[in-house]
Amino acid sequence: MIAASALTRQFDRRTVVDNLTLDVRRGEIVALLGPNGAGKTTTLRMLAGLISATSGTVAIDGVQLTRATGDALRARIGLLTESPGLWDRLTVRENLHVYARLFALADGDRRIERALDRFQLSDHASARAAELSKGMRQKVALARALLHDPPILLLDEPTSGLDPEIARNVRLLLEEKRAADCAILVSTHNLDEAERLADRVAVLQQRLLALDPPAVLRQRLTTGRLLVRIAGDPNAFVHIAAGAHVDGHHLIVPLEDMNQQAPRIVSALVGAGAQVIEVRPEMPALEDVYLRLVQS
Amino acid sequence: MRIRALVAKEFLDLGRNRAALVPVVIVTLVSLLIPFFVILAVPAMTGRPLGADPALARVGETMGLPRDLSPEIAVEAFLFQQFLLLFLFTPITGAMSLASHAIVGEKQARTLEPLLATPITTYELLVAKVLGALIPTLMISSAGLVLYLAGIAAFADSGVFAAVITVRTLVLTVFIGPAAALVSLQAVIVISSRVNDARTAQQFGVLIILPLTLIFIAQFTGSFLLTVPVMALVGVGLLVVWVFLTLLSVALFERESILTRWR
Repeated sequence: MIAASALTRQFDRRTVVDNLTLDVRRGEIVALLGPNGAGKTTTLRMLAGLISATSGTVAIDGVQLTRATGDALRARIGLLTESPGLWDRLTVRENLHVYARLFALADGDRRIERALDRFQLSDHASARAAELSKGMRQKVALARALLHDPPILLLDEPTSGLDPEIARNVRLLLEEKRAADCAILVSTHNLDEAERLADRVAVLQQRLLALDPPAVLRQRLTTGRLLVRIAGDPNAFVHIAAGAHVDGHHLIVPLEDMNQQAPRIVSALVGAGAQVIEVRPEMPALEDVYLRLVQS
Repeated sequence: MRIRALVAKEFLDLGRNRAALVPVVIVTLVSLLIPFFVILAVPAMTGRPLGADPALARVGETMGLPRDLSPEIAVEAFLFQQFLLLFLFTPITGAMSLASHAIVGEKQARTLEPLLATPITTYELLVAKVLGALIPTLMISSAGLVLYLAGIAAFADSGVFAAVITVRTLVLTVFIGPAAALVSLQAVIVISSRVNDARTAQQFGVLIILPLTLIFIAQFTGSFLLTVPVMALVGVGLLVVWVFLTLLSVALFERESILTRWR
């Protein structure tokens, strides 16, 4: 649905995004991870048609994003910017109302009420944006990005500043949008959120370091451990695999490839007479993978 | 539709920030009071009627005022007509602060990026910004103009009001005034979208008053006379300049620089 091909952006001579090829399909959430200054916001801006690429292309539903097509294609995108960007002297409802008119929504009032309700903003609809807390402002900005029901969502840190309950609601909402066939790209620093929410994770540091489902990313990029609980003394089976060691009642075996090695280890243990009580694969957290990627 | 939406937002914003209109009100009040002070109060205080000044009486005659007017009324009518030019300044000077803040203000408030993420075109954005500054200031200066004419009817000698209400006055207030304001504001919008600080935009914007000041001085000294055909021509010229400036402002508006380089 939205596809970036060999996207590069330079500011003066500094390359901020380098040769990024990425696509987000219908009904998919892709999390964009990267340290500060990795080019996440620039990527979102290029995908939203706010700034052009130095080279490379962006296509939305097969239509190339250019100056000529940009105005029309932007109507298909919901962008949550880094900063909520609300008009402080306008009320929450007025902020949304202006955007409903900018997107020429025929049923703008109904959508506004629905958005206020969905984001639990109804009680604050008449409050001026300047009076809102950071989290509330973020909610209004999200409501604004979703107001026109765009099939493509580009969200820069959507749960930043939100309390856990609202953050959870936002995640549920994004899952709903995914179910409704939206293509969603979420820039986040929250690795746990990325892992729980995303179908695929893109790790960016100027260039794309990885783009895979979280589970594949973890498996592919780092080793896991197999924890085996054995009746009796596990030290008797330490010789079963290279690098194995004992921690309490557990025999711990580091593995390069969980799927291939784990059955063989268990089989060897049983063959050696071990009474296996429990076998638990332990994969590294996405955080470990991420840190390894960006530090390498 | 999108222009109307953004203009409506500008009005709402302005309605909650009435202090921004204080300069317009002050300039309008000053434009309103100075003529009455000079034409009515000063002669009353000095006891020397304006018609007694031969130079003024001569200038009054050259303005094409009805010949049956007494020298006093002719001079008053002439001066009230000249001071009408002040009402060219009111929407311009007053709206300067609003217009100079238009783009750079949105950027500084970080409201520009979500706005540019909508289907709004650069042309729509810039026209909305001009209208958002122009319409309220024109309304205030129009109210000032109505008070000015009402003041003439109430306080000036009888016959002055009828002598002031001419085609020239109509062209000046209904055509030249708004056209001059439109040009000035569009120029300030161009500046506002090219500099990254509202104060800088305002500093440049002030320069726009210079040509008007020259016309004002030329009128008073009699070295240049704005007759109706000349004014009509000037009005058309101003509209042409406005169209040019609008196209120029669209061409010069660089979304990218504004989003990525301004802080």
